Amino acid sequence: MIRYECLQLLAEKMTDQLVVTSQSGQRIEWSHLSRHEGNLLVGMMGCAIGVATGLALALPHRKVIALDSDGSVLLSLFNLATLGNLRPKNLVVYVFDNGVYSGSRISYPTATSGNTDLAAMAQGAGIKNAQTIRDFEEFKKSGVAALSKNELSFFVCKVEESLLHREIPRPNTDLAENKYTFVRYLERTEEKVIPFIGRG
Amino acid sequence: MKDELAKRLVQSLKDAGINFVTYLPETRLSQIVPLIRDDPDMELIAVANESEAITIAAGATLGGKQAAVYMENTGIYTACYPLVTVGKQLGVPLLLVIAYLGGVPDWRNSFLYATIGKHSVPVLDGVGIDHTLLEDGDKLEIKVKDAVRAANSLRGPYALLFAGEFSE
Repeated sequence: MIRYECLQLLAEKMTDQLVVTSQSGQRIEWSHLSRHEGNLLVGMMGCAIGVATGLALALPHRKVIALDSDGSVLLSLFNLATLGNLRPKNLVVYVFDNGVYSGSRISYPTATSGNTDLAAMAQGAGIKNAQTIRDFEEFKKSGVAALSKNELSFFVCKVEESLLHREIPRPNTDLAENKYTFVRYLERTEEKVIPFIGRG
Repeated sequence: MKDELAKRLVQSLKDAGINFVTYLPETRLSQIVPLIRDDPDMELIAVANESEAITIAAGATLGGKQAAVYMENTGIYTACYPLVTVGKQLGVPLLLVIAYLGGVPDWRNSFLYATIGKHSVPVLDGVGIDHTLLEDGDKLEIKVKDAVRAANSLRGPYALLFAGEFSE
């Protein structure tokens, strides 16, 4: 399965969802595929699921999507236990698991290329709808269906290592700029004031 | 901490606009947990690690909440990475309510905590997080409000370190 093709499919389905990405190839690929103002391109590994969880709790009527990687989830495994107990119904997590630290440039293997099964860990942590997706047909079926369900979903999407993200342009927005665009979008669509945003 | 002080602390948080709190409990300030949990205007989220206390609170802040993180000062060490990346680099206001174990003004200090306490302020300084030490209830309400205003204005985390009477 190719990550870019999965993201392409998801991008077509986006309306008013909020999408949080961690730092890895999918952040670059997603920003290339989607210019939606509801994208928060968090530029750090291991932080996207937490930020997405906070958003999902703060805005329980909005669908929140986290795009993450095996390396990131391994860095913040405690998220699984917390999610397994909170179970925010409006959160869908896609972990694109290529089994390597692609950003390391030497593709050093992650634990998931050994004995570690993230979906089993998520289930053990209390996330009921946690499953591994191994092919694109299954992603089209289960992965996409989760967008319209009212249930916490956690998908470990087994993908081939792809270096496409090194060839497409990086997002040309500063982190702070992206944050303000995102928050202003929320202010408009939620018709409420976000307290910390400056108003001249 | 005496019950009355715990009530004042929670009321101060509420009056300062805090309506979302992530936490990992500890020994000095834990009386605030049931008070926050029972308050219909505040959402209390239990976490497994202080790192996600920061990231979840940051997500809630971006979603319109005024968030605080309650933790022991050992959590500063655990959460340094998201404090710097999400808190500082992305620029998300957070009030850090920190039990200052092992600091000189910690009334229950001992060899168990002293090393933990000794490095807390230098680490906060090192990552550029401003902080205020509170040793008693004097002007508590004002100090909490000032800290929340500072976090919002600076667009980053601001720490309140609780010791003295709070560590009783």
